[in-house]
Amino acid sequence: MTQGVTKSGSRLERLLDAGTFTVTAELGPPKGTDLEVVRNKMGLLCGACDAINVTDNQTAIVRLSSVAVSALLCREGLEPVMQMTCRDRNRLAIQSDIFGAVTLGVRNLLCLTGDHQRFGNHPTAKNVFDLDSIQLIRMVRRLRDERVTEGGDGVEGEVPVFIGGAANPFGDPFEMRVIRLAKKVAAGADFIQTQCIFDMPRFKEWMRRVVGQGLHEKVHILAGVMPLKSAGAARYINNNVAGISVPDAIIKRMSGAGRGQKARDEGMRLCAETIQEVREIEGVHGVHIMAVEWEEAIRPIVEMVGLLPRPE
Amino acid sequence: MGASDRMVVMGCAHSAGIARDEWAAEGCVLPDDIEWVSLPCGAGLDELHILRAFESGADRVMVLVCNDGACQSVTGNRWAEKRVEEARRLLEEVGIEGWRVAFKTISPTMVTDLLPSIEAFRSFAPAQDEASQEGTS
Amino acid sequence: MIVAERKPLAEILSNVRGAGKVLVVGCNTCVAVCMAGGEKEVAITATQLRLALRKEGLEPQITERSVERQCEREFVAELGEAIAAHDVVLSMACGVGVQTLVEEFPDAIVYPGLNTTFMGRPEERGVWSERCIGCGNCVLDKFGGICPITRCAKGLLNGPCGGSANGRCEVDPENTPCAWQLIYDRLARIGQLDRLMDLEPPKDWSTSRHGGPRKMVRKDMVL
Repeated sequence: MTQGVTKSGSRLERLLDAGTFTVTAELGPPKGTDLEVVRNKMGLLCGACDAINVTDNQTAIVRLSSVAVSALLCREGLEPVMQMTCRDRNRLAIQSDIFGAVTLGVRNLLCLTGDHQRFGNHPTAKNVFDLDSIQLIRMVRRLRDERVTEGGDGVEGEVPVFIGGAANPFGDPFEMRVIRLAKKVAAGADFIQTQCIFDMPRFKEWMRRVVGQGLHEKVHILAGVMPLKSAGAARYINNNVAGISVPDAIIKRMSGAGRGQKARDEGMRLCAETIQEVREIEGVHGVHIMAVEWEEAIRPIVEMVGLLPRPE
Repeated sequence: MGASDRMVVMGCAHSAGIARDEWAAEGCVLPDDIEWVSLPCGAGLDELHILRAFESGADRVMVLVCNDGACQSVTGNRWAEKRVEEARRLLEEVGIEGWRVAFKTISPTMVTDLLPSIEAFRSFAPAQDEASQEGTS
Repeated sequence: MIVAERKPLAEILSNVRGAGKVLVVGCNTCVAVCMAGGEKEVAITATQLRLALRKEGLEPQITERSVERQCEREFVAELGEAIAAHDVVLSMACGVGVQTLVEEFPDAIVYPGLNTTFMGRPEERGVWSERCIGCGNCVLDKFGGICPITRCAKGLLNGPCGGSANGRCEVDPENTPCAWQLIYDRLARIGQLDRLMDLEPPKDWSTSRHGGPRKMVRKDMVL
């Protein structure tokens, strides 16, 4: 990964390979075609991060497609990380959409399994899950490096993409979490964005094992963080989002902060502190900020940790 | 109960049956509109029996079994309660109110309480607004 | 075994309500075991139908029958006369049984009384859960005898997903264990954890229902 050979030519790849502590942030598309929403969010994130993750029907709620929004970002000179889940598309559609995204300028892909549709706004839909995220990573790598599709045909043209995967150091079984990372690396992941960190000791333990296996030299790891808007938000995430638990200490701190803007300010401060802490951890090459429906928080947080302006 | 209503009491022989025999020995007689069905044990109760009772013209069914801890088959009484709950569900499906099936545990010595318990259910009617919500006449 | 559940009565009534003579036919194999369509359930359903229709001022003839297995021609053949003598048949068998009646008695009007759900096993009395989706290419050897395609909500072959917590599946933590936690524990127990490092390639779904409706033929058995 650091041998001076670019795989995609993406800005994200370039910065990570150069050893820059990289910042990515999430953009949630609207539940429809309202481009004003997209433009606002682009404005908020422009210059505040190095690349922008565009979510793909996140939590199984139908939104403007990540292919379309990623293409719009490219048109505006911004750098998207196009998220793709396995829930809504089979291997044919996924490969086809990747070809499409690449022709529209997309160079970073985040390969995800996807939330079950039971959680979303179309719970009666059929799901696909023709592939899982690890098979998807391998498929994309073969499109890029071997120029062959999953079905065996050759690919007409190049597929220069920087391949990402997700990792959840906080899920169960704990023993599997490092094994899964290793599998994703072996499958071809170039970078990893983790689930958001509230349980720092567990994250540090996971990183310790990751470094112990030398995986940090094979893949770039960006630590996931999420600013909390309020104590209520903290409690909600703790109770409702599978795979994340928010320690009492954090909930207490958010409760003590007051309400409204005071709470949000505390949430941003907490997030900034988390970023400062992960910067010190061996193997962490960047941070991925997930400010769900709160893109306004990104720039202030990045500024708080002294990471503005972003490099060229 | 209405003038032409009929009630079936399904009583476990080990508790309700014994109490009833004691009571009958004292010369007490069940009213005409109440039919007694003896169960060898609460475990022998099936929701089908309850449904068939309604099909044959009963308007209410009362199930009497042994107290917890006293059942000769250990869990027969709890089994009977489950069957009563299932019968209520099946009756609601056909538009017959679930309250028309009653469940009570008793001891074989509850001789003087036997008729009052039966009478209490016999004269039970849900609050008027409940009855009209159920859409029955 | 095949597991099914009795349809809500209202749905059944909407189909049989106008018929003068209804034949309710049960099956004494799978659906009897899962207490959905055996003799007893036929009796309950028939009684409910009589009670419900009487309330509507109707007095249809509701006949109760049961056969050993409703999916086999030899067993359903005996129903011929009864079917001809009724207006409508309510089959309390699984979907296979309903369709068998239709295929063997093409002039019969047959309605399903059950919702057929899955292939599974009884875990304890009153509880049945899904074990096999009939993918046509069994990979139980690779996962310690626990099927990830059936038991993982996302059918992952390289699981778990990020939503596995406390050994439960995020889709329905109350009722569903995380299949990958089960697989991990099982492989650990039998000393085959190294299997988890193998990247399981994308499944060949062509042997499953995705490849089209299936048929199995033993040529050696066909004269």
